[in-house]
Amino acid sequence: MIFTTLLIHEWKKGFRSQGFYKNLAVNILLGIFVIYLASVLLFVGLSLETILSKINDRLSPLDMYNGGLLYLMISGLLLRFFMQPLSSFDLLPYQILPIKRSAIINFLLVKPLLSVVNYFGLFVIIPFAYQSIMKYYGMEVSIRFVMCYILIIWFNSLTTNYLKRKFGGGFWSMVSLVIVLGGVLAMEYFEFYSLFNSSMQLFNYMVLSSLGLIIPMVAVLLSYGLNRWFFWQNYYPERFNIIQNKSRIYMNTLTFLNQFGSMGELIGVEIKLLFRHKRSRSLLSMSLVFLLYGLIFYTNDIYTTNHTILFFVALFETGLLMYTCGQWVISWDSSFFDGLMTTNISINTYIKANYTLLIGFNILCFLVTTPYFYFGHEITVMHLVAFLYNTGVNVFLLIILAIFNTRKIDLSRSSTMNYQGTSFKGFLIMIPMMTIPLVVIWLTSTFASYTVGLWVLGGLGITGLISHRYLIKQLVQIFNAKKYALADGFREREL
Amino acid sequence: MIEVIDLKKVYGGITVLDVPHLSILPGESFGLVGNNGAGKTTLFRLILDLTEPTTGEVKIYELRVKRNDAWKATTGSFLDESFLIDFLTPEEYFYFIGKLHNKNTSEVDEFMVSMTEFFNQEIMDKKKLIRDFSKGNQKKIGIAAALLGDPQILILDEPFTALDPSSQIRLKRFLAELQEKLNLTLLISSHDLNHITDVCQRIVVLEKGQIVKDIQTNEGTQSELEAYFAV
Repeated sequence: MIFTTLLIHEWKKGFRSQGFYKNLAVNILLGIFVIYLASVLLFVGLSLETILSKINDRLSPLDMYNGGLLYLMISGLLLRFFMQPLSSFDLLPYQILPIKRSAIINFLLVKPLLSVVNYFGLFVIIPFAYQSIMKYYGMEVSIRFVMCYILIIWFNSLTTNYLKRKFGGGFWSMVSLVIVLGGVLAMEYFEFYSLFNSSMQLFNYMVLSSLGLIIPMVAVLLSYGLNRWFFWQNYYPERFNIIQNKSRIYMNTLTFLNQFGSMGELIGVEIKLLFRHKRSRSLLSMSLVFLLYGLIFYTNDIYTTNHTILFFVALFETGLLMYTCGQWVISWDSSFFDGLMTTNISINTYIKANYTLLIGFNILCFLVTTPYFYFGHEITVMHLVAFLYNTGVNVFLLIILAIFNTRKIDLSRSSTMNYQGTSFKGFLIMIPMMTIPLVVIWLTSTFASYTVGLWVLGGLGITGLISHRYLIKQLVQIFNAKKYALADGFREREL
Repeated sequence: MIEVIDLKKVYGGITVLDVPHLSILPGESFGLVGNNGAGKTTLFRLILDLTEPTTGEVKIYELRVKRNDAWKATTGSFLDESFLIDFLTPEEYFYFIGKLHNKNTSEVDEFMVSMTEFFNQEIMDKKKLIRDFSKGNQKKIGIAAALLGDPQILILDEPFTALDPSSQIRLKRFLAELQEKLNLTLLISSHDLNHITDVCQRIVVLEKGQIVKDIQTNEGTQSELEAYFAV
């Protein structure tokens, strides 16, 4: 009873948040993307049998799948550790009401299981079960197969919750998880110990034996019990949120920025902002993972001949931080925006500080990605042109985007409901920004030579760099026109 | 010198503020009273160019505030926590604001020493971020930061709420001193009729966005206001 009431409250919180309707267009775009993703997964599911039998024809597809399942489970756990926000709903207003505490805790634990995102994998699993498992093993096994998958998701979700609460989602716990996973992979690779075989035996038993499902059920119950035990031990929110509440003082000394006057001071504040909020910290560490993206593309023969794709990767790599952070450079100041607007900073300085910060990001990314130059002269030139284009053109487009982002961003609340949503949506809005240069490259490589396209884009970038004073003035004009909308939007408290 | 001319703010069809004319002279201490929703904060926000006037304008020292940066050098303000950069330590925050007013580190240090009494040893050297301070201490930090740039005009919204009794008394004394020494133009709003009549020479009462009273403070002012607000 109380469970459904709480659930309805959470729903209302989502639908009544100011951003929901404002971003209707984005939501529709998101919907289209979801449908696309679902159809891709469906396709994978339908062709999974063929794929698996192609990889290894000595083992049956089910054996192959079950062998890999433990890896999937561990990487799923890892991914959740990165991405899954702790379900922390505002306990306080409910804690003083006559609601049984266990009901609240149950709600906290079960709520993440109801998220649709969890069950996306079923688009692969159900067709596979229907098409292949049913054919070889019959109805009963295929139902158990699907059930087993759902139980694994529950186990993963609950375990992540526990691990995150217990150890925090900090940088070091992430690193240790990565090390554990890497170690297991290394053991497999050096044939020291094969997780693959044990995984195969374990999950085959679960699926094929009629009582096999008891194992994952017990695992889910254990994980649930572990969570309950944690909450029983840490009764008060201040205790179970202890790791999040502790503010560490990062980046104490940024003295080198002193020489740049007010602008330098402002940049110093922005850097501290990035490092002293959990949400922006995890955004930064996620970006690190994306830096490795190039390895997939630059090493693969299919892509090395396609200049459009190569340039996309170059554009993305050299502007990674700018693309992940750029559209928030204004709105992450939302919590002290009134203060910034009344203190002794001219708007020009403010915009210039943000511009300089993004340029700094670009320089950093360019330098960090220089190891990719190893993949050849072509990549080097592409990175250079992409860097120029990012720094001369896209930086201005991103700041405009940022100025139009009137939604308050609450960085201090570490795991808001829309945590994943925002970074994801942000990525969607990036797409048009990326496509223009890609179209240029594609057109020139089809009709002439892609080097023409590189010259064009590089030239545009240099033009933008040279005329940055003028362009910043234009940004100031736009900002001044939007200033009140920004201040009003940031003042609205968004739950 | 603040001048308000034909200022009107309409929100969704409702006029929340309508001030045909108001001028505040240099060195004046100006108190704003009114019930919730009377438009006090809106007036301050309009003066500080944080919200767009529907019609009319505000001038500080003959210069329009709208889309202008010049007034920021002479105006110190603290309306609410959204003026604080809460992920900095108080020291970092003061150095930051100080730099913006072209003060060097030792000048800011000097300033922080001068605040010792007001801070009551609860603010400095705590190795704590502003967001981890209590509401009252956050308010002290905000008020101090507003003073840091040696402003000619100081605007504070409800400076007494959330402060402990001793701090309220200290703040009152402090504001009076500043006014006398620096000829500061002071604009404050408050729900506390006692405090505001103590601090301000001039009291303006707002009701539903209109100025209904504009009086020079004397002994009878507090009882006059109490009678006005009694239901």
